[in-house]
Amino acid sequence: MTSHDLRADNLTLAYGDTDVVRDLDVQIPDGRITVIVGANACGKSTLLRGLARLLTPRGGQVTLDGTSVQEMRSIDVAKVLGLLPQTPVAPDGISVGDLVGRGRYPHQGWFRRWSAEDDVAVAAALEATGTTDLEHRDIAELSGGQRQRVWIAMALAQDTDLLLLDEPTTYLDINHQVELLDLLTDLNRQSGKTVVLVLHDLNLACRYADHIIAMKGGAIVAEGAPRDVIDAATVTEVFGLACEVVPDPVSGTPLIVPRGRHHARPEVVRTLA
Amino acid sequence: METPTSLDVPTVRGGRRQRRRRATVVTAALLLVVACLFVLTMMLGSYYVSPIDVITSVLGLRDDPTTDFIVRDLRLPTAASGVAVGLALGLSGVIFQKLLGNPLASPDFVGVSSGASLFAVSSIVLFDASSSAVSGSALLGALLTALLIYVLAWRDGITGYRFVLIGIGVSNFMVAIIGYIVSRAELYEARQAMTWLAGTIGQSGAGELRTLLVAVVVVIPLALVLERPLRTLELGDDTATALGSRVERNRLVLIALSIVLIGFSTAVAGPILFVALIAGPIAQRLTGSAGGILTAGLVGAVIVLGADLVAQQALPTPLPTGVVTGIIGAPYLIWLLATVNREGRGG
Repeated sequence: MTSHDLRADNLTLAYGDTDVVRDLDVQIPDGRITVIVGANACGKSTLLRGLARLLTPRGGQVTLDGTSVQEMRSIDVAKVLGLLPQTPVAPDGISVGDLVGRGRYPHQGWFRRWSAEDDVAVAAALEATGTTDLEHRDIAELSGGQRQRVWIAMALAQDTDLLLLDEPTTYLDINHQVELLDLLTDLNRQSGKTVVLVLHDLNLACRYADHIIAMKGGAIVAEGAPRDVIDAATVTEVFGLACEVVPDPVSGTPLIVPRGRHHARPEVVRTLA
Repeated sequence: METPTSLDVPTVRGGRRQRRRRATVVTAALLLVVACLFVLTMMLGSYYVSPIDVITSVLGLRDDPTTDFIVRDLRLPTAASGVAVGLALGLSGVIFQKLLGNPLASPDFVGVSSGASLFAVSSIVLFDASSSAVSGSALLGALLTALLIYVLAWRDGITGYRFVLIGIGVSNFMVAIIGYIVSRAELYEARQAMTWLAGTIGQSGAGELRTLLVAVVVVIPLALVLERPLRTLELGDDTATALGSRVERNRLVLIALSIVLIGFSTAVAGPILFVALIAGPIAQRLTGSAGGILTAGLVGAVIVLGADLVAQQALPTPLPTGVVTGIIGAPYLIWLLATVNREGRGG
């Protein structure tokens, strides 16, 4: 795994005339798991898409190892940086093996078609995601959790040092969410892959992130190790949520407990008043 | 990524080879069926010619003026245009469907064919055009209509849903104008226009047929080269970009190829309906996951040749090819609409 430097300088991203991310500077820590969090429409997915060159910046730039990703050949970026979008599209009737094989696109060319190396990469991706047994199955037959693992396998088959994932846990139930985040952690710890993901669940984000980026209104409000930056004040500022932050009994990372207007025990209400 | 020591590479390689073998076998079988139908088309008619005579005459291995006249001058143009039109329709349809990720996104369904028809009918009725001028107008109509739909559907990119809906709207608009023009026409011209609109592979002149064959010979290899980027575009724009595919350029070139194919085939044979719509899904069923676009082209050729044989030989009165494909295609479309909407994938 070579080390890489992915960063945004003074980045402004827009849809139509609306700026969604404004004058943002960020550097993605190499070899770590970075999680971007924030309320809906705070620009977290937009930032991820900008980092993956899916959006052309209105201002500033995203650089990979010192070169603007917009100026690099797209296929050269694709050899270093992979992305799993929020809603990837599976063609009709495609088998798991063939879908995962499509991740090999940037490593093939007009004259260099399928090779033994591609088979090895696909086998490794299936193994890492525990989907080898599904190789011959039609994507449409799979459960949501299986399907998401297959998509991750496709992104892994691309064999990039950086992997960006846009809300990969969205359609999964809680056990599959944890399973998936464990899998991404395995990949990071075993091979040093840099992982950047957008997550909705703040508690899982705090547990699995080495580095957390909290966004509001298209800007970064706080970033750093979750233990250092996530406290009640930050959560209130980012999400507008009154809450308590306690140590997660399993991991010791910040655990956010919302206050809400109902159900608080009388002694808690007194301490808060 | 590190390569773990105990990988199940054989499963991956075996699965891939098995799927590819199936696709290859199906494609080869279809090629054989096309060849047989091609020969059969030249055997049947008011005067029967044996298969041996057909083959030797086409290849120029014998010198029998009567057989040569029947086979090479009368029947070969029909058979050749059947193959070329079928290939063009099948390829055109499957490229559209994969590109826009929608089984309803067939170029004859979203108005490209009706645009070609409008121009062809106008040239017949309003300008009393020659047959090659009619073909030229049809081609021009296909290209302009496609451009119109592309511009109307553009909103920071093209989505299949918008393209199909706007295409259907444009199609209806064109059909309405066609109806108006035909209703205002003289009887003879109206009849000529209706014959053209029914779509028949036997109606082209030698010049148009040659143009179509050149287009097919040039465009098919190009389409096969672009199949690789097409496989990324099928996964959606974001994934395609992430894989390093140049999305807008590839999509534009592929749409252009598809339009050229449908434009040329409509110019030669008129609008033969439903072939472009059904060839791709049939090919997909036959080949499974590893199938390519060429298979869809071959399925198109089988359908067109088969439909023409039925239209010309099996029925008491010879009918235009388009009538038979319509009879096969319409029920499929109804089934497709029913099932696609059930799965919620219409758009």
